[in-house]
Amino acid sequence: MNLFFLALAFIFGGGLLSLMFWRQFVLMKIIGLIAIGGGCLLGLIDAGTKLYRPGPYSAVFDFLNAFSLSFKIDALSAFFLVTIYTICLLAALYSYHYMDKAQKALRTGGSYLFFAVLTASMALVVSANNLITFMLSWEIMSLSSFFLVVYNYEAEENRKAGYLYFVFTQVGAMFILAAFGLIYAHSGSLGFRDAAALPDTVKIIVFVLAFIGFGSKAGVFPLHVWLPHAHPAASSHISAVMSGVMIKTGIYGIIRIYMLLDWHIALFGHLVLIAGMISGILGVVYALGQHDLKRLLAYHSVENIGIILIGIGIGMLGVAAEKPVMALLGFAGGLLHVLNHAIFKSLLFMGAGMVLHQTGTRTIDLLGGLIKRMKITGTTFLVGSLAICGLPPLNGFVSEFLVYLGGFRGMALDKTSFAMCLLAIVSLAIIGGLALACFTKVVGVVFQGEPRSPVAENAAEKGLSMLIPMLVLAVACIVIGVFPTFFMTMALKAVASLELGYGQIPLVPFVALTGNITRAAALIFAVFLLILAIRKLLYQGKTVTRSGTWGCGFTKPTVKMQYTGSSYAAFILEFFKPVAPLTEDHPAVKERFPEKTYYHSHVSDIAELHMGSVVVRPVLTLFEKLRWLQHGDIHLYIGYILLAIVVLLFFV
Amino acid sequence: MMKSIIFLILAMLLAPLYSAWILKVKAFFGGRKGSPLLINYYTLIKLFKKGSVYSTSTTLIFKLGPMVSLCAAAVVLMFLPVAGQAPLFSFNGDIILLLYLLGLGRFFTIAAAMDTASPFEGMGAAREAYFPIICEATLFMILILFYTLTGELNLAAYFTGGQTLGLWQTAGPPLLFVPIAFFIVLLTENSRVPVDDPATHLELTMIHEVMVLDHSGPDFALIELGSFFKLFFYASLVTRLICPFTLGNPAAEAALFFIVLGLVYTAVGVTESVMARYRMDKVPQFVLTSFALAFFATVITLEFLK
Repeated sequence: MNLFFLALAFIFGGGLLSLMFWRQFVLMKIIGLIAIGGGCLLGLIDAGTKLYRPGPYSAVFDFLNAFSLSFKIDALSAFFLVTIYTICLLAALYSYHYMDKAQKALRTGGSYLFFAVLTASMALVVSANNLITFMLSWEIMSLSSFFLVVYNYEAEENRKAGYLYFVFTQVGAMFILAAFGLIYAHSGSLGFRDAAALPDTVKIIVFVLAFIGFGSKAGVFPLHVWLPHAHPAASSHISAVMSGVMIKTGIYGIIRIYMLLDWHIALFGHLVLIAGMISGILGVVYALGQHDLKRLLAYHSVENIGIILIGIGIGMLGVAAEKPVMALLGFAGGLLHVLNHAIFKSLLFMGAGMVLHQTGTRTIDLLGGLIKRMKITGTTFLVGSLAICGLPPLNGFVSEFLVYLGGFRGMALDKTSFAMCLLAIVSLAIIGGLALACFTKVVGVVFQGEPRSPVAENAAEKGLSMLIPMLVLAVACIVIGVFPTFFMTMALKAVASLELGYGQIPLVPFVALTGNITRAAALIFAVFLLILAIRKLLYQGKTVTRSGTWGCGFTKPTVKMQYTGSSYAAFILEFFKPVAPLTEDHPAVKERFPEKTYYHSHVSDIAELHMGSVVVRPVLTLFEKLRWLQHGDIHLYIGYILLAIVVLLFFV
Repeated sequence: MMKSIIFLILAMLLAPLYSAWILKVKAFFGGRKGSPLLINYYTLIKLFKKGSVYSTSTTLIFKLGPMVSLCAAAVVLMFLPVAGQAPLFSFNGDIILLLYLLGLGRFFTIAAAMDTASPFEGMGAAREAYFPIICEATLFMILILFYTLTGELNLAAYFTGGQTLGLWQTAGPPLLFVPIAFFIVLLTENSRVPVDDPATHLELTMIHEVMVLDHSGPDFALIELGSFFKLFFYASLVTRLICPFTLGNPAAEAALFFIVLGLVYTAVGVTESVMARYRMDKVPQFVLTSFALAFFATVITLEFLK
């Protein structure tokens, strides 16, 4: 049996066995960890070798003689498989100490099963090679993740989140199905390959439909509404997997459909770029306004999906304009950002999970000073924050750097594409700045300063299996940031399998780029070490004392006087008022001795705000008008069925 | 290579002097004699000799702040073509790295401020996080313009030798907007009037100064040094833009550069003397002006070129 399916069998079997052994809580977790983790490791090895083998690997199974399940793993699939297995492996490890509620043993077992199914189905999605296999895996993935979202179904908001996620994922799937239906209608075959033969107008419709469908999974604005609800509802390691890799299957879908249609017009690039820029900027703006740590991270996924789409959009424009270097830079940057985002976002979600686990709260403004008692969590979270802001010498910088270089190449294109690339570059700059503001807020308010509540005061970090994945991911952030060459060639391999007609891609110019990053990182470290040495010398034999923070003349400061996350972000959010309306609630101060007061603020997401009036209500009104069809009379329903059969028999 | 190193060392040594020149200009406008020109060296030496007091709220990040911000500023200087000479390091795309490196410095300055749990420092940090976002957009806009003119993406391609003159020759009048936009960015990024007032006495109205309130001794000296470097970096770029001439003689060229650089610093001093700091909510509009200027310069230039 080959390694790919063996890995899947391990993962799925691990999930089943965990559920079976739910009565022995620890044994269940050990089985889950070993089988799922081992399966992921096997899969990782397999995907790694497949990434470097010259031709794609494929397998076909006939299912009930009705249709065939067909799989093909080319370098693009392998690239995504590497990402999926890496993150799922670490998430499985993380879950060992995270899932510690023995009284919920059965539910934990169920969660292991769905986690295993989710992992396996994601692997199947990116290796599916015909419409039916893809759709089947896609639905398994959506359903298994739905059950993971409603893990804590007692809370009403979690059930709501699950419902929202279910609606979005199914509507998205219907769009994909519509796109696939069009492909089938015109090509008459379920194979992926035949999509290239479609007429041009159909290709545009297929791409737009698929983009909407995949975009709703990826969290492209305005289809991201489910993300900030579902991620906080799920357990943290599941949030890490969902945000880190599951939403990337949407990106995979977009790239795959672009490749299959094999029609490289600039229009696709424009569409993807516009979606990317809007998601990128609005994602980070909304993130800035959040009070819930996991919601904030969820909005950052929207932002990073934006960055990935900007990269891919630039790549598509490069292909359309027959500028191979620009195309490769854009696609490689986008794909590398898929890997990078998976790494730092899982790291951040795991860090948030540790905070939640130890303090029991996700409210940013209730935390503070955690880095003193949670050294590893705090430090790794800091590394992840630096990486997500795209700062050198960490991994986020590398992919953004490639996207920037690709964007600058776009300056030589015709007017529309030029304007798009110009906007893309400026958007990336603004996104970078806003992300920095957002993560200085998170690190500053959650991990630094003084604790704002007793729970934050008494927090401590526990659980080796939770700390190891965070450490591994933080190290990965640094390694990719300093030595990006290997990882960029991985991304380039994946790009090569897109069959853009560039033949063998010469690696030398790209390796030169990443070589520069390595040298620059070395320079930064060298200068830093020099400054460190000088500082040490300067402090030799000096008196260093500790005392309270300078209160600018105020002698009785309290922790409540600290700047909160809300106040930190308020100034910037003011600028974005039109897209991020702020509602505030606090009573006016009256008389000389004011009473105890409060302040609530909420930043509304315009997509969510207008979803009701723009989409839901018109649809409901329409269905209201069609209500007479559903009268409850069984005789007439049988009549409908008969009528349908007759129509199908005679007219189709 | 040797020349680059000499000029780099010269830049690092002279940066505090030029900053002191601003004080001198301000003193002149105030009708005072002002502190000696070497004041910044005295201050640095004084600070280097001292010990430090750390807040009980702070962690290691507080100590990292000054080091990382100085490190970022120093590395940036290594890529700067001082006086039109080839810089020590340069590669395709280095300017993106430099802008993000300054971002890294900013991240740690803000993080160090948040480490103290002081409400004032938080306030300063929020402002410090805000204004540079617009500056970055401006700088990338200018970068787009320069890239379309030269097809290169590194500082050396814009600011060494006759390259800057070449920029003027191809783009012409629209490029006039660029030094002004750059100057606004300089004022913003280096916390000068009318964005921030380094000499103010009320913590509520500060941006940068309030963030470093708790730093003392050598740590504070590192911060000061870093900000001298940063100002020198931006001022050099403005200088090269307004004085792109090559004289054929390196010594004369360097002399001309350092004189014009003095003029740029004088302009900073004059701005600080003749105008007041803007109200905080007006600052974004002021900074956005730089973006608008850069945008117009780009659009007009490209309209002429294409």
